[in-house]
Parts: sequence; C-alpha cells; structure tokens
Amino acid sequence: MFYLRYLWAELTRRWSKTLTVTFGLAMASAIIIVIISVSQSLSTAQDKVLNPLQNVGTDIIVTRSVDAENMAAIDETSRNDMMEDNSIGMNLAELGDPGEAFSKDNFMPGSMLTFDAAEMDNLNPTLVKEAAAGLIMTVMHQEGTVPDITVDITTGGETFEVNEDIEPMTDGERAAQDAARTKAEAELKERGVDPRSHEGMEYMRDAMDAAMPERFRQKSMTFVAPSRTYRQEVGPIETNISTGNLTVAGVDTTKTDIGLILPGQVTSGAWFSGADQVIANKAYADKKSYALGGTIELGGKALTLVGIVEPQLYTNTADLYLPLADLQSMSGKADRINIILVKSTNAQSVEETSTALEDAFVGAKATDSNDTAKEVTGSLVNAANLTNRFIGVTSIIVIAAAFIIVSLLTVFSVNKRIREIGTLKAIGWSNTRIVRQVVAENIVLGVFGAVCGIGLAVGAIALMNHYDISLTATVANASTDSPFGFARRMFGGETDASNSTTTTVQLTVASTYLTMLLGSLVAIVGSFVAGTLAALKASKMKPQEALRNLE
Amino acid sequence: MPIIKAKNLSKRYQQGNKTINAVDGVNLEVEKGDLLAVIGPSGSGKSTLLMLIGGLDRPTSGEIEINGVNIAKISDAKLTNIRRNTMGYVFQNFNLIPTLTAAQNVEAVIAKRTSHDRKRVMAVLQQLSLDQRAHHLPSLLSGGEQQRVAIARALINEPDIILADEPTGNLDSKTGEDIIRILADLKTKHGKTVVIITHSEYVKKFATKVVEIRDGKITPTR
Ligand SMILES: Nc1ncnc2c1ncn2[C@@H]1O[C@H](COP(=O)(O)OP(=O)(O)OP(=O)(O)O)[C@@H](O)[C@H]1O
Ligand SMILES: [Mg+2]
Repeated sequence: MFYLRYLWAELTRRWSKTLTVTFGLAMASAIIIVIISVSQSLSTAQDKVLNPLQNVGTDIIVTRSVDAENMAAIDETSRNDMMEDNSIGMNLAELGDPGEAFSKDNFMPGSMLTFDAAEMDNLNPTLVKEAAAGLIMTVMHQEGTVPDITVDITTGGETFEVNEDIEPMTDGERAAQDAARTKAEAELKERGVDPRSHEGMEYMRDAMDAAMPERFRQKSMTFVAPSRTYRQEVGPIETNISTGNLTVAGVDTTKTDIGLILPGQVTSGAWFSGADQVIANKAYADKKSYALGGTIELGGKALTLVGIVEPQLYTNTADLYLPLADLQSMSGKADRINIILVKSTNAQSVEETSTALEDAFVGAKATDSNDTAKEVTGSLVNAANLTNRFIGVTSIIVIAAAFIIVSLLTVFSVNKRIREIGTLKAIGWSNTRIVRQVVAENIVLGVFGAVCGIGLAVGAIALMNHYDISLTATVANASTDSPFGFARRMFGGETDASNSTTTTVQLTVASTYLTMLLGSLVAIVGSFVAGTLAALKASKMKPQEALRNLE
Repeated sequence: MPIIKAKNLSKRYQQGNKTINAVDGVNLEVEKGDLLAVIGPSGSGKSTLLMLIGGLDRPTSGEIEINGVNIAKISDAKLTNIRRNTMGYVFQNFNLIPTLTAAQNVEAVIAKRTSHDRKRVMAVLQQLSLDQRAHHLPSLLSGGEQQRVAIARALINEPDIILADEPTGNLDSKTGEDIIRILADLKTKHGKTVVIITHSEYVKKFATKVVEIRDGKITPTR
C-alpha cells in the first residue's frame, strides 16, 4: 500500500516534527489525565473524611450530648442519672492501706450521655434499615501508691509532778507549832481522849495544821492527764498517683457492616473472637508501643490485643475497642449505651429519618453527613475545595487549552505541507486522497500522543504517590471529651478547642480508565478534527496558490 | 486541431484596490508535437499562463481548450483527471516530496497501482539514467538528478503534454542544457507536446515556436 508507505515515510523521515507533535499531544493529554485524577482522588479522600459515616455503613449517629439546651429537655430523674454517670467517686481510703500500690480505671461516658439499650426499640423500622449500638467512654486511669491520708495526734497520759521549794519553818513558827501540839495534848488529856486514838490524832493534826504557816497549807500533788487521740486530716495529699485519659468504645459485635469499627477496618491481627479481647486504634497502639498478642490492663482485667484497627469514623474514634457487653460490665453500665449508628432505609430520606430520631429520643442529637462535614477543617478540605472549584471551571479551561494546543500543533504541521499538497494536486491527486493521507497521518500522531500521554501521566502520578503527599483534616472529636470539657459544657461553654483529632489522609492519586480515555481522546479527537479541517482547507486551495506557498 | 488552444485567455488578481492583469487576453495555439518556448521578463505572467494551460488555475475569462475540451469550465474532478492523465509538470524548484525516495516520488502519481507499475517506474528512471539513484531521498540527489526525477514523475502516466516552468532556473548552465535536451528528446523521440518557460537561449535551438510575454500579453516574435 503506497499510502501506508507514504504515511510511514512522513512520520519517520520527519521524525523531529513527529516527536514535537507527539510530545505536544502527550503533554496535553497527560495534563488532563493528571489534573482530573488528582481532583478525583482529592474528592475521594475528602469524602472519606467529610462523610466518615459512609465508611461505617451509617447515615445518622444518634447521641445524647451534654449541653445546656439538651439538659433542659431531659427530665429530672434522667438528668440525675446522667450526672451520676459522669461523676467519679474516688474514695482513697477504699483503694487499700496507705503505701499499697493501686491501679484503678474510672469509666465515664463523657459528653455523650448513656441511655438504656432498650431505647433502641424506639427506632422506627420503616425509617431505619439497620442500627448498631455503641458505648464510648473516657477512662480515667489512676495508679500509684495509696497515700497516708490522716495524721493521728494523741494527747494526754503524761504524769505531771509539781514540786515547789517551800521556805523552811522559822524558829518562831516551829515554837508556835510546838505550842499548838502541847496545847492540843493538854486539851485532849482534859477531855480524857487518848492522843494516839483515831480521834486524838485527828484533833492533833487539825490543831497543828491550824498553827502551820500559810505556805505549808498548799498541797503537794501528782496527777496523770487522760490520754486522748485526735485524728486530723492533713492538707493537700502528696502522692505518686498518675492519671491518664483514654477512650474506650464498646462495639456492637452482632453487626459486621455497621458499627463504630468494622471487621474490614482491622489492618493487622483479627476481629473479636473470644473473651477478654481488645482491638486498639493504630495511632494509640503506636503511641503506646503495643504489640499484637500483648496484654493491656483495663478495668482490672488483662485483655489480649487481638487486632489493630484504623477507624474510619473520625468523629467518634476511641483508643481501645471492646465488645459492647464487655465494656458495659467492666464499667458497671450494664445495658447502657450512648451512641446509636443508624442506616436509613432510604438514602433520600436521611433528613426525614434524622428529624424522626430526634423526636423519638428526647434530648438526642442526630448527626448526619452534612453535620460531620462541617466539623472538619484542614488542608485536605482546602485542597479539595480548591479542586472542586477547579473541576467546575478550570478543568474545562484546561481541556480547552489542551484541545487548542493539539489543534494548533496539527494545523501548524499541516500548513508546513501546503506546497507539498499543491504538488500532489499538480500530479493528479484527488482532494479525497489528499485529505485521507493527511488525516491518517494525524490519527497516527494522535494515537502516538495519547499513548505517550498516558505513559507520562502514569509516570507523573507514580512520582506524586512516591513523594507521600499527605493532607490533614481536623475533626472536632465528640467522644474523647475530658471531664473538664464535660463540666464546661454543662455550663453551656464551648467545646474544648484542643480536643480534636487531626486525621492525616495520604493522597493516593489513582487514575481511572475513564480519565485515561478522556485524556487520550483529547489528543486523538483533537488531532483528528484539527487535521481533517486543516487538510480539507489545504486541499480546497487552488494548486496554483498551494505551489506559490513559500513555506 | 491544436492540442492547446487559448482564446482571449485572461487572469486578473485583485491586490487591494489594484488589479493585476497577470494574463491579459492571450490567444495561443499549440499543435501536437510542438515545443513551445515562452520567454519574457520577470512578473510578465509566464507562470500564470502555464498554470492556466496545465489546469492548475482557472482563468478569470476566456477559454482554454485541451484536446478540444474547454477546461476553464469543467468540474474539479474532471480537471484532476486531466492533470493526472494529460499533463506532466516540471517545476523550477523540482517540488519533489522530501520524505519519499526518487522511485516513490514517481510512484506517487500512479492512482491504481498494479504489479506492473514497479517495473514501469524503474524503466522510466533508467531512461533518465537514475536507476542508481532510485532509492535515494531527494535531499541526497544533485539538482540535475532531482530535476530528472521530476521529469520521470511527469512522464510516468504517459501524458500528452509536458509543462516545464523554468526547469533550468536552479541549475548550472551545463546541467540546464542536459535537462533541456531531455525535454527536447521527449518531443522529438516520443512525440510529446512540450511547453517550456525559460530564460535560456539554448531552448530556442529546439523550439518549434517561441512566444514572448510582456505585461500578460503575447508580443509577436520572429
Ligand atoms: N496568487 C496571486 N495573487 C496576486 N498576484 C499574483 C498571484 N500570482 C501571480 N501574481 C502576479 O501576477 C503577475 C505575473 O506573475 P507570474 O508569476 O506569472 O510572472 P512570471 O512571468 O512567471 O515571473 P517570473 O519570471 O519571475 O517567474 C506578477 O505581477 C505576480 O505578482
Ligand atoms: Mg514564473
């Protein structure tokens, strides 16, 4: 076939033109493929973060959170229950004897109030397709040595001796004493009383006492104070108690497609399969250097770490995950839950279901993807917003620009050959034959360009993925609330600003076949259309004009 | 019947508000087997006249008959056929397709190739002493060789008329004379009708007819 040989000759013998055009077309399609792929990957990443609910098969999360408004709506009894739930009674004296080591975990539901699991029955089956219960609690872990909390002060019991130096009797005083005795003896004799009898001795003593100088009349005595012990509480306790907060979630293990975490999110190890098992959040396990198969002490139990999970429900993450029943019994919250994940029967009726849920659960808040999206900020959101805007307007501009580049290159390369086309006409080539020749050549160039463009794009994407581009999204975390945050909210304050989770999302750019097709179509269609138009125009030229063309 | 007959043939170009009468009321008859030499100063309209005769351009007015057919009015497709089957063109700057070899340049003219064609191509090239150059690209050939390839290309379809526009213009005088002799041979040995635009006096030795053009008009010569 002459025309194939001619085509081949044109491409290979004008190789610098072929390369230039191919490269130009390749760049144009690669830019389209890369830009669209990056935008798509960004919006996928954004969806994962902005709508974390979908990651766990959920449309709506039902919680009852503590804020002034909600609290007002709840009746007195429940409110007291909730207050009770969230208070830690720590009686140091119960921990053990002073000096003994202790370790204690206090479980608190934080800002998400617990309610009876039976409330799940309120879910309207026409609106709710599936639901999973959960219990997310903040654990305040305390350990140390039981401190001496009292001081015993014992008073009394001492023997007091009072000794006084008394002036010795003067001669006069002694004489008065003698005189008094003599007088008393004489008086006794007169009365006929024996001075050695009891009565006589008393009489004698009284008489002598009376004659005794005043200072001798004071008694010399000894006494013992009664012993009394005072127990006094001492001021601030100086102890070695260390406290730490962590969040523990009870997972509804009866469900595998809806829940705080799902079996599919376990990145290493396994899902719950028996008693006393725990699954750890990867971030927490890394921080604590926990290893699979190791033991984690929680609530006085030794749990085996069976799995590491990367939870996808960013708004309600926990550090450790237990089967719901285990956490309920460990925390003394039998049959109580504080989060319900709901899958709506109908994707269109999510809002309706939300409202119905809020009505059915007094003081409850139904959170859907629109609400979670609002809680997220960070570079990912910025980048994705940028690309969303980008996809809207700029991608059209880019595609148009690529199309123009392709067309200009094609028209340019066809125009280079106007004179040659004139020659072909002079030697009797029909317009059809000329157009077919030129168009075939441009289709081949377009295909070359498309193939190289896909290659370039795949390379560029691989390079991007090689240099880990990570974007962050900051999510205000509702569950890992500190008691202080709780208290603050009780008084209607703001959420603890520092209490948020920053999720780093690795941007993995993936290109779909559709994107590659679109990118290659721009090169192929562009060079085909522009090539055809340019060839038609050139073939319509009079040979005279074509031959005079100076190019 | 003259093979070429121009009647009051005119071609005007409009350049701004200026009208250029490139060819102005030319009457001309060329008999089969003639060798017509067209001479004249630059810009006098020689090339324009040749284009009109060869069906590469259409006149503004007047008629141009080839073998009794007025090609001024026929369809593009018919004109293409006439160009392919009746005319052979030789240009001053050869106008070879640079990406095709000598043989391919000649072959390009053949619309429906048969197994026989390759032999014909080689025969024509051999006739012009180009058999050693058949598979060279134009850029590797000398000017004279390139012009001979162009002549081979003009001959492959065995046309009645060979039109040459200053075929020696880009060649040295010795090579130019070789080319003129080849073209003259086409007339004498093969009975072709040859029209040559030239400044070369050498052509006049072979010409059966010489016309001079000035400002688009034929002025009578000897
Ligand atoms: N396409 C065109 N548009 C406008 N003017 C043209 C065109 N073609 C030719 N002319 C003009 O027509 C006149 C005749 O041109 P032509 O090329 O026929 O002259 P020529 O005798 O062949 O000259 P040369 O010896 O330099 O080749 C010139 O003035 C030229 O500028
Ligand atoms: Mg000329």
